[in-house]
Amino acid sequence: MTVFYIRRLFQMALVLLISAIATYTLLNFAPGGPLAGLRQIQQTGRFQITEDDIARIRAYFELDLYLPYRFMRWFVGWPTGPVEIGGREYFSDVVVGCRKPVETEVLNDDGEYEIQVTGCNELVYMKDLTGRRVSRGIIRGDFGLSWRLLRDRPVSELIISRLPKTIQLIGLSTLLSLFIGIPLGIYSAVKQYSRFDYIFTSLAFMGSAMPTFFFGIVMILLFSLIPKEAGWLYVPAGLSESVRGYTIPLLGEVAAGSVKDRILHLILPVAVLTIVNISYYSRFVRGSMLEVMRQDYIRTARAKGLLERVVIMKHALRNALIPFITIVVFTLPGLFSGAIITESIFAWPGMGRLYLLALGDYDYPVAMAIFFIIAVLTVIATLLRDVLYTIVDPRIRLS
Amino acid sequence: MTADSQVATLSAEAITIEERTPFQIVLNRFKRHRLAMVASIVMLAIFGITIFAPVIAPFKIQELSVNKYFAPWGTVDEETGRTHYMGTDNIGRDYFSRLIYAGRISLTVAILSVIIAETIGITVGAISGFFGGWVDAVLMRFVEFMLTIPTLPLLLIISSMLLRNDELINIPDPILQFMGNILLLSPRDSRNAVLIVLVLAGFGWLSAAQLMRGTVLSLREQTFVEASRSLGASNFRIIMRDMIPNAMAPIIVDASLGLAGYIVGEAALAFLGFGIQDPVPTWGNMLSASQQFMLDRPWLPLVPGLPIFICSLAFNYIGDGLRDALDPRLKL
Amino acid sequence: MLRKRLLALLGLLVIASMTLVACGGTDVPAAPSVETVEVIVTEVVEVEREAFTTPHPILSDLKVRQALAYCTNKSDLLKSVYPLISDEARAGLVMDTFIPKSHWAYAGDENVTIYSYDPDKGRALLDEAGWTLAEGADFRTNADGDELSLKFTTTSATFRQTWAAIWEQQMAECGIRIVRLHAPASWWFGDTTGIARRDYELGAFAWVGQADPGGQTLYACDQIPFPTNGWEGQNAMGWCNEAASTNIKLANNTLVQDERIAAYTVVQQEFTKDVPSIPLFNRTETFATAADLTGFAPTPGQEYYNYNVQEWARPGQDTIILGFTQEPASLFTLVEDAFVANIAYQIVRPAQEWHLNYEFTNSPITKELPTLENGGTTNNDVEVSEGTKVVDVNGDVVELAPGVTVKNAAGEEVEFTGGTVTMKQLVSRFEIADGVTWEDGTPVSSADLELGYKIACDPESGATSFITCDKTANVEFLTDAVGYIQTWVPGVQDPLYFVPVWPIYPNHQLGDVPAAEWATNPLVAETPLSYGPYKLVEWVKGEKMVFAANEHWVGGAPATPNFVIQFVTPESAESLLLGGEVDILASESLAGLTQALVDAEAAGAIKTYTEAGGTWEHIDIQLFIR
Repeated sequence: MTVFYIRRLFQMALVLLISAIATYTLLNFAPGGPLAGLRQIQQTGRFQITEDDIARIRAYFELDLYLPYRFMRWFVGWPTGPVEIGGREYFSDVVVGCRKPVETEVLNDDGEYEIQVTGCNELVYMKDLTGRRVSRGIIRGDFGLSWRLLRDRPVSELIISRLPKTIQLIGLSTLLSLFIGIPLGIYSAVKQYSRFDYIFTSLAFMGSAMPTFFFGIVMILLFSLIPKEAGWLYVPAGLSESVRGYTIPLLGEVAAGSVKDRILHLILPVAVLTIVNISYYSRFVRGSMLEVMRQDYIRTARAKGLLERVVIMKHALRNALIPFITIVVFTLPGLFSGAIITESIFAWPGMGRLYLLALGDYDYPVAMAIFFIIAVLTVIATLLRDVLYTIVDPRIRLS
Repeated sequence: MTADSQVATLSAEAITIEERTPFQIVLNRFKRHRLAMVASIVMLAIFGITIFAPVIAPFKIQELSVNKYFAPWGTVDEETGRTHYMGTDNIGRDYFSRLIYAGRISLTVAILSVIIAETIGITVGAISGFFGGWVDAVLMRFVEFMLTIPTLPLLLIISSMLLRNDELINIPDPILQFMGNILLLSPRDSRNAVLIVLVLAGFGWLSAAQLMRGTVLSLREQTFVEASRSLGASNFRIIMRDMIPNAMAPIIVDASLGLAGYIVGEAALAFLGFGIQDPVPTWGNMLSASQQFMLDRPWLPLVPGLPIFICSLAFNYIGDGLRDALDPRLKL
Repeated sequence: MLRKRLLALLGLLVIASMTLVACGGTDVPAAPSVETVEVIVTEVVEVEREAFTTPHPILSDLKVRQALAYCTNKSDLLKSVYPLISDEARAGLVMDTFIPKSHWAYAGDENVTIYSYDPDKGRALLDEAGWTLAEGADFRTNADGDELSLKFTTTSATFRQTWAAIWEQQMAECGIRIVRLHAPASWWFGDTTGIARRDYELGAFAWVGQADPGGQTLYACDQIPFPTNGWEGQNAMGWCNEAASTNIKLANNTLVQDERIAAYTVVQQEFTKDVPSIPLFNRTETFATAADLTGFAPTPGQEYYNYNVQEWARPGQDTIILGFTQEPASLFTLVEDAFVANIAYQIVRPAQEWHLNYEFTNSPITKELPTLENGGTTNNDVEVSEGTKVVDVNGDVVELAPGVTVKNAAGEEVEFTGGTVTMKQLVSRFEIADGVTWEDGTPVSSADLELGYKIACDPESGATSFITCDKTANVEFLTDAVGYIQTWVPGVQDPLYFVPVWPIYPNHQLGDVPAAEWATNPLVAETPLSYGPYKLVEWVKGEKMVFAANEHWVGGAPATPNFVIQFVTPESAESLLLGGEVDILASESLAGLTQALVDAEAAGAIKTYTEAGGTWEHIDIQLFIR
């Protein structure tokens, strides 16, 4: 067992390293970047961008360094300049980047003209790195500085500002949908082809077929805008708390930022996420339950004269939950990554929104930090899943 | 002795009287599943409508008129006398015609993607769960790796490469022609359709693989598998005959729920620059186009949303029916 | 190149999976090989051909370009994107050249070629150009049987998807097949992709409106981006017309308005004659507020709609809430120039000038702007000799040396051969109004202005452009008043000379902070000291910015004691306004007028304002091929 865990931890580290490299490379090849849009600002006597300006801005964002060096500096915070051993500097003349790449039109292998980077006008050497700002590396917990969303200030600040609200939203809705979804799924399976099952199945598929924005806006209209106009009980249309106090019929005065205010603001987004999740979870439980219910050992249990309730809860459910574990453990990275569409529709200041902004605004340090944390949580979730398998079903061995 | 042989002859006769091919057996079992039959008929009807779209649709998909901003249902076109059965969109295009043309593309893309994704997923998951050990470790670490790779930048890269050079990824011409003919698309768009299927399936198999592995892990230890093995069944046979049929339940759920996801996912790809883009309609891009008018016309997403809903529901019931029909343990 | 990248990428994945198989092995990242393949530091690669010198086979034909313009029905395009505004409002948005019709620099209908919608004329032109429509065919072909098919690239924004669908149909009616590509904005506006690399045949985007029409980098011959000039310049169409080029430079380097108008007229004439680009329409700016909000007065041509934020009020409310769909990244506006950052910054540090109804005036914190007319600025003759920093005829800052062509005081272009030459030099005296005080009670002083100048011109600060610093010969800070005298480099004849350039920073608070640390300093980026109507109390990241009245504000107490900027999302903005969670949504948050807003206004719940914005949509035509 110990051997298994050691080997598994080693594998996990390897997966993380490779995925970090791959993601970093991906982001660097993706169009965009901190200079996107810069050339789309009309230049005037007051604002002009020269080749030197571009080179300076590229250097500011470390884009003048070759990818491996940039990755290393982001990952472990090294190299920061020539290696100094015994008062002497080594590697100071190693080329680590290019400030001004030269592009020319050349003929490629297919006989077509292409514009390629063919040289460099100004090289960057290892010695030039001395004194440049650098993070301590993501593996030492330093996510570096944001490029765009919180310009030049720590990424961690940005993440910490969003995380609590995300956990609140996702945590609550996941718990709710598990508590509601699993019993519904079981009931649906036990009463297969009953009227309840049909209605519920249809509703569940409605939940999966209609996009989240549909539920979100319909709920805003039904439970916020329309009742508010009519003077009935309503809930706020969005945000995580109000700026001004307000009065709601039946509930009375609500002070801005109070617990009551926050709970009211949670209702709609949690409801939407729960609806969408319930449909998925319950379908799953139903499917697995049905499969298990026709297994021999269930028949045996019934034949033994056990109560149907005992058969279902003790024998069937336990086995039905095995594939379900896969789904539940992966809510762990979900807790961190948030829900993009729901957060957008309800202006909920969460991680999903941050992730979208980081990619849309080319804030790659923020995006990389989020990816990396999600990657860590994903591998942890996988490990957790495998361990849970052995607990739920002792016959499954980890080897 | 004689009594025994009589019984044997009798039962042999009984069998010969009702002799049916396995296919017929399955078909008969399937027919007994009433909902599955209804679902099949619904799906056939939808397929029929989409196949005969050029005949049924009163309008061409790109026909537009800025003066017909959201014409109501049943508006009659004054010049030609044709009817907008479901009204028009914000630039005066006929909803009904676009909807039925869209079905061709959306259904083909989604069904192909589901089939490919689930096939890969089932295979990988079954192999991983059945053999365990280093095979399992490698495959599952690879799945894990894929799960950690963010899709958005990857898709952006692919789309930016395709923008520069359509011919970057070679797809055999017969496939393209075939797709083009089915979908009534230009060669460029049908190339995109093939690519979309590949991309959707490429990311879609991961969950199926994990589900399959989970189920196989628990099945592996069950008595009937041990029984098969002791009878000398090969690994392949055990996987095909014991594992896969028994693990179909979660896979069918995954697939039928996934179908809607693929239809919508295809629209997201269009937004990233390499889906099938407007003016060619798909249920997905019609759905996402409705988002900006949601607050004004909250019912708008229902127009493309309902067909997606009906199809995924129908697929679910067909899936249910198939599972029951294929289940080796169910006796008739 | 891209193929190579793809291969490298695939290789990376293969290596990744192989390392997995090995379950150990080395953890040498595969990335190095990717990058070393990419950047080969060598000069031996032979330049096979100069890029973008081959005229486009179809679009280099003027008749085809004119036909495209004639076949375009701009009012239908407008109708598709702004269905809910009145016909008159729409008519005012149509553009025929690169300057809106109501602008002072517009040449007048009689001086430009107007391509009003006339498909018959378009078809005739195409026939003339050799693109004929065969019997029964949908699209035109030339003598070789090639189809008249053009690639049209733009972003995937719904706004552009909508009008592009209409345009595609309009072109089809003239027999032109348009292949639409809706690319991600990151690609289209990327630094090394899309427009910046001239990677289109027909490309649509918008130029954002500015206080001055400008245009030098857009239409001058020396502003065409090539691989050889490091892709500098914004004339991506490759349009080079000598008359237009000379005059656009003149228009941007002369002080007299009439001369500018004359020069712009020539440019517009040539522009509409050559059709290197089809101007379509101005975008609208839509604002929506709570029905009882008073004092909100967006004005055409304004740079910041919240210039009079101290007058905004709602009866019975002590807080005004402005919704932002984007959160400012930083309030250090030298490095963060997003519109929302500037709007938020205005509240604590109002600009020194206002631009209302296309006219510049001083804001409450400055005295009269120094123009030639009021004597605040003088345009002196100055003798310059070799080695002096001057601005040459192209507008570049150079050291005077033999061979440099400059404009002399008489307005003639002369090549410098030695000795001296007399040139024009602008000297302006900028002054801050009396009584402008920081929120902590310290009066704003000349030292604060000096700090602003110092930081804005320090490359360490992270600012983007230093052009105004390079064009300044000397700045003298006043001791008897709060202000400075700016002396421009000889040859600078910037028409906006009277507009203050640099910010004001609190010397007593930040005087000791080195420029390199400004961007990361929270006192700069997050809680800038105020001299405006409100001070910033708290910035809750991702949620809101809370402001309170600044008792030291020179303009007296604001009408509402508290002000909040609430961060919302584009998807939620409208419902939050209707739900009463925000009071104001401005043009940067609203894409346009929607049915829901119109209905709510009719019901008396909100008030909307729609005006023509300065941002204009156009289709650029690539005149050369790679």
